[in-house]
Amino acid sequence: MPQPGRPVPSRAYPGALIVVEGTDGSGKSTQLYLLKRWLEIGGYRLHFTEWNSSPLVKSATRRGKQRRLLTPTTFSLLHAADFADRCERQIMPLLQGDYLVLADRYVYTAFARDAARGCPPRWLRNLYRFAPVPDITFYFRAPLDVAVNRILSGRPKLKYYEAGMDLGLSYDRSESFRLFQARILEEYDKMVDSDNFVVLDGTLPVNKLQKQMRDIVASKIDLKRFAPHAADAE
Amino acid sequence: MPEQEKEKEKSTAQTHGGAGEPTAAPVHGAPAKVAAPSEEETAQHFFGEPLVGFDPSEITGSLIVIEGMDGSGRSTQIALLQEWLESEGFAVQTSGLRRSNLVGQDIDQLLAKNAVTRLTLSLMYATDFFDQVEHRILPALRSGTVVLADRFIFTLIARGVVRGINRDYISGLYAMALRPHLTFWLNVRPETAFGREFKKAQAISYWEAGRDMSLSHDLYWSFIRYQTMIKREFEVMAKRHGFIELDGEASVSAVNKQLRQRIGEQLGIRATKYAPSAALAHLWR
Repeated sequence: MPQPGRPVPSRAYPGALIVVEGTDGSGKSTQLYLLKRWLEIGGYRLHFTEWNSSPLVKSATRRGKQRRLLTPTTFSLLHAADFADRCERQIMPLLQGDYLVLADRYVYTAFARDAARGCPPRWLRNLYRFAPVPDITFYFRAPLDVAVNRILSGRPKLKYYEAGMDLGLSYDRSESFRLFQARILEEYDKMVDSDNFVVLDGTLPVNKLQKQMRDIVASKIDLKRFAPHAADAE
Repeated sequence: MPEQEKEKEKSTAQTHGGAGEPTAAPVHGAPAKVAAPSEEETAQHFFGEPLVGFDPSEITGSLIVIEGMDGSGRSTQIALLQEWLESEGFAVQTSGLRRSNLVGQDIDQLLAKNAVTRLTLSLMYATDFFDQVEHRILPALRSGTVVLADRFIFTLIARGVVRGINRDYISGLYAMALRPHLTFWLNVRPETAFGREFKKAQAISYWEAGRDMSLSHDLYWSFIRYQTMIKREFEVMAKRHGFIELDGEASVSAVNKQLRQRIGEQLGIRATKYAPSAALAHLWR
């Protein structure tokens, strides 16, 4: 049973953490890529990290998916292990080392997706209690049909877990995907207020959306601190 | 899912942090109050939360856990108990750490490489545990089989806690673990365990000695200190979870007799007389 939350300093590290969230096809990865390019070209100290990318855990995830060994519980735990590995070896050290850290998907992906699979929300919140809370969480919101059609038109075949086939919602992969994504969207929407999401309209043109994103980043984060000469000056 | 409404409220209390903390203290999300819907049934079968998609009324078998440090005689006792139970006509399934098809090998590799951090390792062990629960233990319990578990969540919790992972955090991970029908703790002195382990392999392994914790450069002292810390955690859990503590220093046959008595009561086996077959006679010291 979790103990009462102990007071933690509002900023225990000097770096800044920006994350993007949203359903598949919401446009979040494209937008984070463009934000990253903008910051890279400007010479800012940054690190980019992606959901489900830790090399230590990768082979296990791949095996689990290929052989369909994963249940909602083990699916969730394996992704938490992946995140913990990146958190302990990259995200936290870099935040302490005064970096800007950009994350394509974060713990909210697990909260939304694993809850959609039936994992107890309380258990999920505990599972990721070690994660630092982002400075900005962009939530790219696109209507279900828009997002789903972007994925269905662009991909030859949906993978088993990607389509949520393990939930037994439908024998048809596309239909299962649509139903699964609807559940995930619902879970995301529940977190908008409680988790301080910055909601962006995923149906806007790419460049307009990117302009909004850059403006918000510039207004909320003291970017000068991450500029190359700032480090030299100190 | 009515609980998600509660999540909303809780998560507003999120705070930044974690960076300066040497422990894996939780910083994300707020503490949760335990108030599940089918609370009584949940508490009877699980440590906190119900496992997704599982109906407890399906259980007809028995889950029997043997805990104890390396060198406490767990595997010996399990081999003997399996033979005894099978001779009594019970189907037996065993489980143990790192035996899952999903991540068993991966953990072996992580341990060999020594590249993994404590939190990741804990979560990999949790994955390994739940994979076995869902694919090995539950199917067995549903079919009336006796499951003999060579270690359980208690070892995993103790190992995490002595490495500075928040106790509530790691207990929370295992909230969906099944409650065993019986949990035995073979309690031995670390000094005894050291001798037994050394005799087995003519060496003490890196992890058994807790060398990742930098307790001592001397292997013997590292082992003793580490296992003493683990033992203290077990003392705490023994009370909370009602372990049946057995003296692991006693002879194999004496420990086995006590195990058979308690398990016999649980399963309704009247005569608990047993002598190992020729194949296992070498264990009967």
